[in-house]
Order: sequence, then structure tokens, then C-alpha cells
Amino acid sequence: MKSLRDIWSIALRELRILWKNPIYGFCMVVFPIAVLLFFTSMMSQGMPERLPIGLVDADNTSTTRALTHRLDAFQSTEVVERYATVTEARHAIQQGEIYGFLYFPKGTTEDLLSARQPKISYFYSLSAKLPGSLTMKDLKTISTLGSAAVGQATMRARGATDAQIQAMLQPIAVDLHMVANPWSNYNVYLSTVFVPGIIMLFIFLITAYSIGTELKFSRSKEWIAMADGNMLVAILGKFLPQAIIWLAIFFSYEYYIYGVLHFPHEGGSWAIIRLGLMGVFSSMGFGIFAFGLLPSLRMSMSICSLWAVLSLSMAGSAFPVMAMDGPLQSLSWLFPLRHYFMIYQITVFNGFPLLESWFHFAALAAFMLLPWLVIGKIKNAMLNYVYIP
Amino acid sequence: MSIFHNIADAISDTAFIWRQEMRQVLRDEGVLIFFIIVPLVYPLLYSWIYNNEVVRDVPVVVVDDNNSSLSRQFTRMADASADVKVLCHAADIDEAKSLVSRQLAKGIYYIPSDFDSNIYGMRQATISVYCDMSLMLTYQAIYQTAVSVTQTMGAGIQVSRTNPVTKREAEISVQPLAVSEVPIFNPAGGYGSSILLAVLMLILQQTLVLGIGLSAGTARENNRYHELIPIDGHYQGIFRIIGGKFFCYFMIYAVMGAYLTMAVPHFFSFPQLAQWKDLLLLMLPYVLACIFFGMIVSCVVRYRENVMLLMVFVSVPLLFLTGISWPHQSIPPFWQSISWLFPSTFGVRAYVRMNTMGATLSDVMFEYRLIWLQALLYFLVACIVYRHQILLSRRHALEQLDRIGRKIEVVAQIRKRKKNRNLGI
Repeated sequence: MKSLRDIWSIALRELRILWKNPIYGFCMVVFPIAVLLFFTSMMSQGMPERLPIGLVDADNTSTTRALTHRLDAFQSTEVVERYATVTEARHAIQQGEIYGFLYFPKGTTEDLLSARQPKISYFYSLSAKLPGSLTMKDLKTISTLGSAAVGQATMRARGATDAQIQAMLQPIAVDLHMVANPWSNYNVYLSTVFVPGIIMLFIFLITAYSIGTELKFSRSKEWIAMADGNMLVAILGKFLPQAIIWLAIFFSYEYYIYGVLHFPHEGGSWAIIRLGLMGVFSSMGFGIFAFGLLPSLRMSMSICSLWAVLSLSMAGSAFPVMAMDGPLQSLSWLFPLRHYFMIYQITVFNGFPLLESWFHFAALAAFMLLPWLVIGKIKNAMLNYVYIP
Repeated sequence: MSIFHNIADAISDTAFIWRQEMRQVLRDEGVLIFFIIVPLVYPLLYSWIYNNEVVRDVPVVVVDDNNSSLSRQFTRMADASADVKVLCHAADIDEAKSLVSRQLAKGIYYIPSDFDSNIYGMRQATISVYCDMSLMLTYQAIYQTAVSVTQTMGAGIQVSRTNPVTKREAEISVQPLAVSEVPIFNPAGGYGSSILLAVLMLILQQTLVLGIGLSAGTARENNRYHELIPIDGHYQGIFRIIGGKFFCYFMIYAVMGAYLTMAVPHFFSFPQLAQWKDLLLLMLPYVLACIFFGMIVSCVVRYRENVMLLMVFVSVPLLFLTGISWPHQSIPPFWQSISWLFPSTFGVRAYVRMNTMGATLSDVMFEYRLIWLQALLYFLVACIVYRHQILLSRRHALEQLDRIGRKIEVVAQIRKRKKNRNLGI
């Protein structure tokens, strides 16, 4: 009973601290919301549209113009400029004006009509991956269409039906099923990892910061005294208000992307809530552990920020972990965000049973329990250390 | 005093502040982490992470309901491709799905039972591809492999259906218009080559700002009255203070900048097409802009840790604002205007175009001018902010002096009174 009262009074004290220092308001509420709005609004289109591309039409006949018109109708690219030569167009890519261009050499139509198999080319730059590959896709489609259009005309003249023409031009078709994200929406890929990744970064930092500032503003002895020297009470009391705020932020983020923006969530609400709980508590566990490991404000915060920034890459959402070197694949287990991402994609995104992600669940649970290892060290630091700037 | 004396004074003051700042940097382990260790180690880590560049051998399950020589040919060709590896055959879609849910496979190729009869009957055959969409790169590998294998097989089928006189005639009837694909820059489409160069430039800016901020925070906390500028004969002019600090940071980042932009790409063979003269001309204003930007940020923070809370998370949005993963033409205008505030936006764009596309300085002139403009503007703002700090610390010093003066007066009065009382007046 007494420990419950102690927890309550420490929690009230913590609330006063959170209220007085504006940095908490910024890092716990304002910045996370700003980041959420940043990512979701930036990629609200889902896929980039109207990427600028160029055209080098040395032939300039009705056939090549017809193809160009068709290219203009594509959604992700837009012909913005015509260039006289390939050199000029390449220069435009280097200047960042276009991502790629289509090239019709002189005599294309003439060679086509006399069945001499002319060659058209498309150039694109993959120096930026997403726009480069979208440009490639459109240019590839239009070139294949151009080739098909000619064959189609010949076959129709010979009296083939549409089905026959199709079977002739493309004997085997690929029927693609994009399970769970049929629009290949980029927002779904990035906002589901980068936003929680940054919220977790703040949880790491604020957790370490709030213990470290006890020392810095010499309140640490008062904190331990309020808990009667019981570290469990001290930690629970201190982090109760923070946990509630973090959960509120995390659940509002989840509500916004799944409830308002309707991101795919085959797994349903329970999987989402479970994920939020695991994410918040494992990050707090990591933050406390980081401080216990290096009980100095500056060092623990440096560790937390470096780890959190690294975890955005080690989560393997953009570049998959399976393509990294062997040692890195094992190292990825040390990052809470990696396990968060795996649980997300198994149980929420694809809606597979919870059992399939048991390993990652166990790992996040281990992160929550990490503070046990260092709790004595934190107590020692709180009672005996003196803050040196 | 002659003008020469003034100049000599200014130079010696600047040099003094330069030395003080250098000492402080070397003494402060927090600053050392961000000035030396992070720029040295982080690029190596990131290069290691992205070193494999592309995803190879993505595991897929094949469900072959047809089991003909043609369907087996498809499986064989898919397995032989670089990007996909056939993990195993499954009896039906459900079994295949359970393999995907256990994360053993990333996709399913389903060959329906009428696959070969459709081909022999001159009808269009289909192959169904089911992709786990949780990873973009594995999805692309699975889908593009299916497309290219079916195209290759299709071309063979087309040729066998025609009765040409010559082989050339068959080729032309199948493909009247030849198409050549030319990926001119980063031809392999490597992930590392596309993103790492941007990360390097960003690391430069972020560590610089974090380091300057931490160092300023320490200076403030060590100061008796929590001032950024100490009351000292040497700290008497804006240009001396800014100049002294600037030379200290510039000295460190001349080395770090060369390491980040030249040595790291060299170690890991990332694209390095930039001419050294162009690169030098680009890096000069970029480092200037970053240093002055960092000085401005450092005046805002009161406690040294706050700069970490402020600057670390910004790195991720900043990387996106450079347009390296999401094209900058598609960024909403509001975020685009915010991106103009940061040197990294233009620095990254110019550096990436120079290094991966071999652009010359004249090709990136737009960005180059803007970086110079930023350097100039941030210098002016830094002067204003520092002037404010100097005035602030002077005012506080005067107040302090005043208070001490009053205290002395009071003490003197009390003493006088006591003396008088003792004398019995």
C-alpha cells in the first residue's frame, strides 16, 4: 500500500517536471506530431506523379509523334522538354531537369515501314532510385507498346482476331497480385516505419534525459528518498506519466494512419494495439538500460541517438536485412525497431498469426526487462554521482 | 593607436579565441564524439549496411499445377536468374501461403493447369505472381524476374510459330521495332550508390551542428553566469569571436569533409565522378554554410543536451527533403520551402549529381549559388545573434558589477554605523 502511495507521489512530481520544462512538451507531443504530418503529407499521393522526362525525336514523323502523345498520357511521367541531340538531353539529366528520355533516331519510321528493324532507345538515370525506376517503367512500356502497335497493324491486316493478336504478341502474360498493398503505395512503406522509428528515437532520448536531468539539476537524492530507496517504485513512479503520454501519442499515430488514412491492416485492431504497447515499453526499457550502462546524461543520450538513427536503416524496411552481410543480420537483433518492423509486417500488414512472430515478440519483451540488469547501477549513480558539465 | 595596431590586435584576439575553442573541443568528450568519432565511424557502418547494393536470390515458392516441360522451363529459368531463388515446390496455394507467413519465402509463382495447352493452342497463357508487399525491393525482384522470364520464353515461342524464310525475317516479324535500354547513371540500380552519398553530406552537416551546439552548451554551463560569451579582453568584437570559432571548426571539417566526400566513396567503390576542383569549390561554401548555421542554432539552446533533442530527429526528414528517395518535384510546396532553410538540401543535390552523374560545377550552378547565398545569409544572422549575445553578457556583467558595488556600499555603511555606535555617538 505504501509503495502504491509512493508511486503516486513520484508520478505527481514527475508530472510537475514534465509541465515545467518545455522541452518535454516539444519532444513528446509537438515534434512527433510534426513528423507524422511531415511523412504522411509528403507522400500523400502514394506514388510520385508527373516526373519530368525529355524527348529526342530526330525522326519527327506522325508515327513517332503518336508514340510521344501516348507517353504523355502516362500518370507518373510527363514530357517536359524536347532536345535536339542525345548529348543535350544527357546534359539535362546532369542538371537535374529530367530523369530520363526517349530517343528516336533519324529514319525510324522509314526503316519500320520497310521492315529493317529500326532501333529506338530510352535512357534513364538511377542515381535516385524511385524516380529512376518509375521513369524506366514508363519508357519501357511505351517502347514495347510501339513495337507491339506495328505488329498489331500487320496482323490485323492479315485478319487475326484481337485474342489471337494478344496471344501472338505476348504468349505468356503475368498476372500480378500485390497482396495487402495493391497500389504499391509508398506512403505505406515509409510512414509505417519512419514515424514509429522517430517516436522511438524520442522515447529513447527522453527516457535517458529524464533520469540524467535528475542528476544535473541535483534532484536525484530527493527522487530516491521519495521511493524509500526502492528502485522499482522509483522507476515505476517516474515513468508512469511518461508511459501514458507515449501510449497516447503512439495510439493517435496508429489511429491516424489506420483509421483516417486507411493504411492496410489485415491483422485488425488487436494486432495494432499490441504492437503499440510493445513498441513503447521496449523503447522505454532500452532508454533506461542505456542510462544504466553509462550513467552520464551526455553519454547515454549520445548512445541513444546514435542507436536510434542507425535502427532506421537496420530495420530493413527500405534495404532488406536479408541482403545485408551475415554479421549485420545478427546485429539487427539488437535494434528494437527491427523487431517492431517484423511484428508489424507479419501480424498487422499481412495479418498472419501472432505465433509466426514469436521470436520478435520475445526479443521486444527482453528489451522491456533490460532495466533489471542496471537498476542497482542507476541507484548508485543517483545517490553518489555529482554532475559535471 | 594606429590602424596596424588594431589589425594586429584583431588577429591576435581571433587566434586566441581559435585556440580557446580548439582546447574546449578537445577536452569535451561529447563534442569529440560528434566531431571525430561519428563522422569517422558512421559512414563506414552505413557503407557496410548498403554495401551489397542489390537484393539477390529472393526466395519464392512455386506451385506448379501444370507440370509440363514448359512450366518446368519457367521454374528453371526463374531459379537461374540473379534476383530470385526457387525455395521449393508447394502442393497448393495454401501450403505456399503458410511458407510466406513463416517468412521463409517472399512470394509465390502459380502456374495454372492449362499453361502449356494454352501455349500450344495459340492462346495467351498466364502465370500468377503473388507478392508479399511488405518490402519494395523483394517485390520488384520477384515481379521483374517473372516478367523478364516470360518475355524471353515468349520470344522463343513467337519465333517457333512463324514460318520464316530466314532467321532474320523471323526476328523482324517478332519484333519489328528494336528497343535498347540504356541506364546511364548508377546502371546497376544499386541502393547504396543512390542513397549513401546523400547520407555522407548529411552526416557532415548534422555532426557539425551537433558538435557546435554541444560545445556552446558546455561553454555556457561552465560560465559563472551562464553566458555564451565570457567577459574577457579578447572577446570584444563580433568578427573576432565568429572568426576564431569559425577557424577552429573549419580546421576540423576540412579534414572530415575530405574524408566523407572522397575517402569513404573510394573505400567502398561508390560512384566518384566528380572532378576534384569542382568538389573543392562545392565543399567550401557548404562547410561555411553548415558552420554558420550551427553557430546560429548554438545560440538558441540553453542546455547542452537540448541540441541533441532538437537536431537528431531532424536528420531523417532532411534526408527525404533532399529528394533522394522521394523526388523533389513531388514534395508539397510547404515542405519544399522549409527545405530551403537547410544547407543539406542543396549540398546533397549538387554533390550527388556531381559524383554519380559526373555533372560539372556549371551543371549544378543553381544549387551552388544558393549554397553561397545561404553561407552569406547565415553569416550575417550569426553576426546579429552573436552581437545580441555580447550585449546580453555585457549587460549582465554591468548588472553584476552594479550589484557588487551596491553590496560594498551597504557593507561600508553598516561598518560606518557600527563604528559610530562604538564611538558612542
